[in-house]
Amino acid sequence: MAVYHAVGASAPRTDALGKVTGRTPFPGDLVMEGMLHIKILFAGRPHARIVRIDTSAAQAAPGVVAVLTARDVPVNEYGLIVPDQPVLCGPGSSKSGADVVRWEGDQVALVVADTEEQAAAGRDLISIEWEELPAVFWVNEATQPGAPQLHPGSPGNQLVHWLIRWGEMEAGWAASAVIVEGEYQTPFQEHAYLQPEAGLGYLDESGRVTVQVAGQWTHEDRKQICHALNLPEGQVRVVYPAIGGAFGGREDMSVQIVLALAAWRTGRPVKIVWSREESIIGHPKRHPMTIRTRWGADRDGRLTAVEATTWADAGAYASTTTKVLGNANLMVTGPYRVPNARVDTYGIYTNNPPGGAFRGFGGPQAAFAAESQMNKLAQALGLDPVELRMRNLLEDGDLMPVGTPLPPGVTIRQVTERCALEAGWKHGDDGWSRPDLAGPAPQRARGIGIGCAFKNVGFSFGYPEQSWAKIELIGGRQIERVVLYQAGADVGQGAHTVMMQMAAEAVGVPLERVRLVPSDTATSLNSGTTSASRLSFMSGNAIRGAAERALVAWQGEERPAVGEYLYRAPATTPYDPQTGACEPNFAYGYVAQAAEVEVDLETGQIRLIRVISTNDVGRALNPQQVEGQIEGSVVQAQGYVLLENLVVEGGRVRTPHLSTYLIPTVLDVPDEIRTVVLELADPRGPFGARGMAEMPFLPLAPAVTAAVHDAVGIWFDSFPLTPDRVWRRLQASEHCRPRP
Amino acid sequence: MLPDYDSLAPATWAEALAALAAQPDVVPIAGGTNVVVGMRAGELRGRTLMDINRLPELHGIRVSDGHVVIGGGTTVAELLASPAITEHAYPLHQAAAAFANPLVRNRATIGGNLVDASPAADTYPPLLVLDAEVELVSLHGVRWLPLDQFVLGVNQTERRPEELLRSVRWPLAPERSAGLHHKLALRKGTACSVMSAAVRVDTDQLGRCTAARIALGAVAPRPIRAHEAEQSLVGESLTEVTIRRAAQLAGQACRPIDDVRSSAAYRRRVAEVVVRRLLTAVDLELKEGAQA
Ligand SMILES: Cc1cc2nc3c(=O)[nH]c(=O)nc-3n(C[C@H](O)[C@H](O)[C@H](O)COP(=O)(O)OP(=O)(O)OC[C@H]3O[C@@H](n4cnc5c(N)ncnc54)[C@H](O)[C@@H]3O)c2cc1C
Repeated sequence: MAVYHAVGASAPRTDALGKVTGRTPFPGDLVMEGMLHIKILFAGRPHARIVRIDTSAAQAAPGVVAVLTARDVPVNEYGLIVPDQPVLCGPGSSKSGADVVRWEGDQVALVVADTEEQAAAGRDLISIEWEELPAVFWVNEATQPGAPQLHPGSPGNQLVHWLIRWGEMEAGWAASAVIVEGEYQTPFQEHAYLQPEAGLGYLDESGRVTVQVAGQWTHEDRKQICHALNLPEGQVRVVYPAIGGAFGGREDMSVQIVLALAAWRTGRPVKIVWSREESIIGHPKRHPMTIRTRWGADRDGRLTAVEATTWADAGAYASTTTKVLGNANLMVTGPYRVPNARVDTYGIYTNNPPGGAFRGFGGPQAAFAAESQMNKLAQALGLDPVELRMRNLLEDGDLMPVGTPLPPGVTIRQVTERCALEAGWKHGDDGWSRPDLAGPAPQRARGIGIGCAFKNVGFSFGYPEQSWAKIELIGGRQIERVVLYQAGADVGQGAHTVMMQMAAEAVGVPLERVRLVPSDTATSLNSGTTSASRLSFMSGNAIRGAAERALVAWQGEERPAVGEYLYRAPATTPYDPQTGACEPNFAYGYVAQAAEVEVDLETGQIRLIRVISTNDVGRALNPQQVEGQIEGSVVQAQGYVLLENLVVEGGRVRTPHLSTYLIPTVLDVPDEIRTVVLELADPRGPFGARGMAEMPFLPLAPAVTAAVHDAVGIWFDSFPLTPDRVWRRLQASEHCRPRP
Repeated sequence: MLPDYDSLAPATWAEALAALAAQPDVVPIAGGTNVVVGMRAGELRGRTLMDINRLPELHGIRVSDGHVVIGGGTTVAELLASPAITEHAYPLHQAAAAFANPLVRNRATIGGNLVDASPAADTYPPLLVLDAEVELVSLHGVRWLPLDQFVLGVNQTERRPEELLRSVRWPLAPERSAGLHHKLALRKGTACSVMSAAVRVDTDQLGRCTAARIALGAVAPRPIRAHEAEQSLVGESLTEVTIRRAAQLAGQACRPIDDVRSSAAYRRRVAEVVVRRLLTAVDLELKEGAQA
């Protein structure tokens, strides 16, 4: 392995001191002289037309400076992929259909006032004449004839349908010795990042409409603002201060456009801070999915055919649903050799909160179905679940059902093997066998389960993936300072530190000499988004390119020596509409996890005792941060499978506070999370690195349900496994047998 | 967003009582962990807050005259750190340990918990099995009420607007008595109880139960005692049979609701399980005590 001086070390986070001492400003902390405050009137109902909106009382209220409605938005639409969402809903809009609210989080009016209290009071004085429209909350109802239609261009409320047709299904079933069928249901999940949406809007010294906000992609935020305000890019600026977590939930616009709109209309600095309730109601969620699937295998446990149909609740607007479901469509057959496959994936509009990006991006739902099917197949065949996987995992050159192989460097077999060994599986002459567990407490049962997964790195399906970086080398005879320009957002994961480490490595100077000019559209070109586990991979390659050019300029005696580079990732291709054939991604990370649980047979409470997470990260650029991402993923996935329960009734979130939408606390983390990092270099990654920050989320849910099955003999095909729900199944089950 | 409010900070006990008597809109604030949450949700608009944290009358944990007496302003963290509580009120110690999280425990007071009177208020079940009484004081005088009579319903108590809860007291337990508490919640930190229970059993030399107390939280509009279950144990030895029967009766005493945390059916069922486990553990402890 190559020897590096700056990457591969756990360099302390450059942002650590400011954050632990409270000095680092987050968007909610920003203040400017003469600043006004915004409150948003949300729809608060799932489907209705605004017939009339009367803002006169609000306008006349003390301290109110402006009330902005749909009429004030030049191009009243936005959306990351399809601009199907009004900035503000109401009559008099520049876009037809924008007088309709389609979920409770639709934004209707902005009240801008001297104080936050006055803005809130003004908001409460807006009077609206509503015409309630019939609403639809279930995917199966939304697709029925006669169901309320949300968007004119999407008959049957169908936003997207992806498919894969591969091999001969009849032949596949005929070759099967066993066939396992399952229907899986996965829930909403809320990002629950530490910092609710907030920001500051103002006109900067050169008159640009400027927004300081926490997002995931400065240049995309700017594009969305420019579109809605009908302004050229040169007149809008987006800057990210410190960002308090994102997990995909900051990809969509929340306060970006309204801050720009209010600053632009009033000419004054404006500030907004969402409450936790506004945050939970106001941004998209992880898609709930129903996956019906059938897997066949021959007597030796080799997969013969997989059929899967997925319905995802897209909610009221498209957001990133088409891309999320592209991933789910690809991953629902698992990281396995599947000779015959028939896959259909539908995204359906409803009047629920929109589904959007969330760590794993369609992968967790698909992995839950695929891994559960593998665990059930193992049971049906009388094979150990590790043994069954070993007979089917993809290797270099194996074709996926989309007709192409994974990019070179497929390591799913290595991570699974290592995970099994670390968890206590034994490998003997007759294959793999399950570990023995410590005896449970009275009235409890223990079990262990395993799962594995792959996660793409970077945007998929033909997207022109690229990332820009610039490096300035300053000094005389030797390089005294390195200034790195890169807009990639540090959402709290430590990306800035890692970028600086990569710059130090690429230039060949100690880390202390590197300074970063971070996320600001005024100083950087487009570096792309912090999502799809892409940032280290993409910005790393851009930084390497920029460093190389800067060093050439340095050799040529330029002072400062400047290198700019636009890294373009290897090309991918979209799904073929008839067969689904494509080259979906240019890079992947691979992961396997084992989970041990104890089930209280009388109360249904599940304790997650131990998680082993084995991850091929290619190269741990900063091992401490890698570990942080793995542990964070595990705990977030633990919440997903065991605890988090977003109750949505009639399109309204009934758990809009962190006292009712519970996420794990530090006391709830497993007794042991063993993080095993493999560094099997990705030939395409910077210094061999793969993206890694999503994949440890994927296998935990199916590993936990497999462990519960091991303990009590019941398959849970839906979650969260709240005690109440587990207790019901334990009651109803005749087979509930505690393992002796 | 915290709305504007007026506030008072009386320096003496007399001033505090006078302010309460004079202005019916005055709301005492101790740790504020209920009051501030309520204000953010738009409650208590236009009310005047009265900070009672600095009044020495509300502080202190004492053992005297065969009683444990604690000030109404005692924080949950102070309960947790007090050897007297661990020794003389172990169920209350356990409830304090399972209460909220360390930050909230530093502020939350016993008086606030009892006066707020949430059905899930965690100090009620242990204090109910300890036979606690509360002391209510106003300019008009002092009265003591058994805790079981003090609490009426969801956020409702016998406290009159002009009264402060000055202290809580309970008699020291007799010999051969043991008590325990358990909180069942959806997670370990910062969680509202799905249900909670405390039990206490006093026995004679032969190990027969002379008195039993079983109290349950979050299974009815107010924390309750399961009187029939208690009665069923009196005069009996704790055995698998008597424990099971008492636990069943405790389950039947519940009047739970469905909410986002769990179903009513689940609450009733786990109340039975938890009471059975607690009584079984208490039995074990008493037997170990008898051998020692
Ligand atoms: C994050 C969080 C977690 C929580 N977890 C738990 C938990 O696990 N278990 C639990 O039971 N509760 C919990 N609570 C609720 C709350 O912390 C408790 O009820 C706490 O004991 C209230 O005490 P306080 O001193 O903060 O009350 P305050 O908010 O100051 O007052 C509450 C009420 O009591 C009145 N009051 C206070 N002191 C007196 C007095 N001496 N005389 C007369 N009236 C008085 C006030 O006027 C007010 O009506 C939690 C709250 C939060 C915010």
